[in-house]
Amino acid sequence: MSYSDKVIDHYNNPRNVGSMDKSSADVGTGLVGAPECGDVMKLQIKVNPQTNVIEDAKFKTFGCGSAIASSSLATEWVKGKTVDQALEIKNTEIVKELALPPVKIHCSVLAEDAIRAAIGDWKKKQEATKPAAVQTVQ
Amino acid sequence: MRAVHFCSSCGKVQPPVPVDYFMFFGFTAKLDLDTASLEKEFYALSRRLHPDLFAQANPEERAFSLEQSSMLNDAYRTLKDPIKRTEYLLRLEGIELEEQSKQATEKARATGELKKQVVPPDLLEEVFELNMHLEELGAQKKLGEDDPALLEEIGKAKLSLEEKHDALLHDLKTEWKKWDETIDNGREVDRPKILATMLDLLNRRNYIRNLLRDVNEAVE
Ligand code: FES
Repeated sequence: MSYSDKVIDHYNNPRNVGSMDKSSADVGTGLVGAPECGDVMKLQIKVNPQTNVIEDAKFKTFGCGSAIASSSLATEWVKGKTVDQALEIKNTEIVKELALPPVKIHCSVLAEDAIRAAIGDWKKKQEATKPAAVQTVQ
Repeated sequence: MRAVHFCSSCGKVQPPVPVDYFMFFGFTAKLDLDTASLEKEFYALSRRLHPDLFAQANPEERAFSLEQSSMLNDAYRTLKDPIKRTEYLLRLEGIELEEQSKQATEKARATGELKKQVVPPDLLEEVFELNMHLEELGAQKKLGEDDPALLEEIGKAKLSLEEKHDALLHDLKTEWKKWDETIDNGREVDRPKILATMLDLLNRRNYIRNLLRDVNEAVE
């Protein structure tokens, strides 16, 4: 099996590798794993509490080239989006962009899971800090 | 019931019937199976299906014997290995590891709820941490340095993983027994829970096995 040029590019020059302060209220952390292969991926987002826009994203993935490329791409895509827009990202779009073969689909699923998990973590923190009465909008 | 490999009156080899691997050997689908009798069956059948015995046979019979022996080998290899055997049973029960994860993602997407991770978070943390250490170790090696503290850290993690691995196998065997009981007493209602537990144990084990492999490579 050979990797597409885009995968190789992300693999050789991964964007946004790194980590952020997990305990910060503006940071959401998603740590997910693919049981099929045992790989792990951590994706973090920093959200502007006023606008809900994701201002920064970082990742660290221990896994195959496709998982690294998928998470690298995911950090690029979520940046500048609101959290709700970021939730719209589907693994199939990642598959398309990176031209992943069928056996590598689970690697893109991992990236989508990581985005959701990071946003979920951030939302949980928001709810914990906000007084309950403010939560009227769904 | 067992699959019929040879005609009962003329003794000729039969085309393989689509049975599961347990039936192929005449076993019920129990997990705590007797590997000694599995082995015995395997060798007995291998002998009777040996290609040399069919050198003079007609093409049809020869083809059947080949099909039978390839099924025999697959069945044996699958059932002999405790993990493969469990995975196989899960597949027979309609549970695919890969599907599981994909379905859970689809569900999370549809409901907006957080996906239930098939691997528990604390194990993920541990896997992630250890990978970080391993990466650090690799970087140090490149520079020709060795940090004894780091090596000790990794050594400790390795021991803890090995312990976890053994504990998982032990737990798996406990579930096997529970499963086998439901075969004996016909209590199908108990099965989904047992299957789910086995799936969970296999998922964890996957992680640990991969990690141990990486650790062993790194410290070599
Ligand atoms: S092979 Fe598992 S994440 Fe790619």
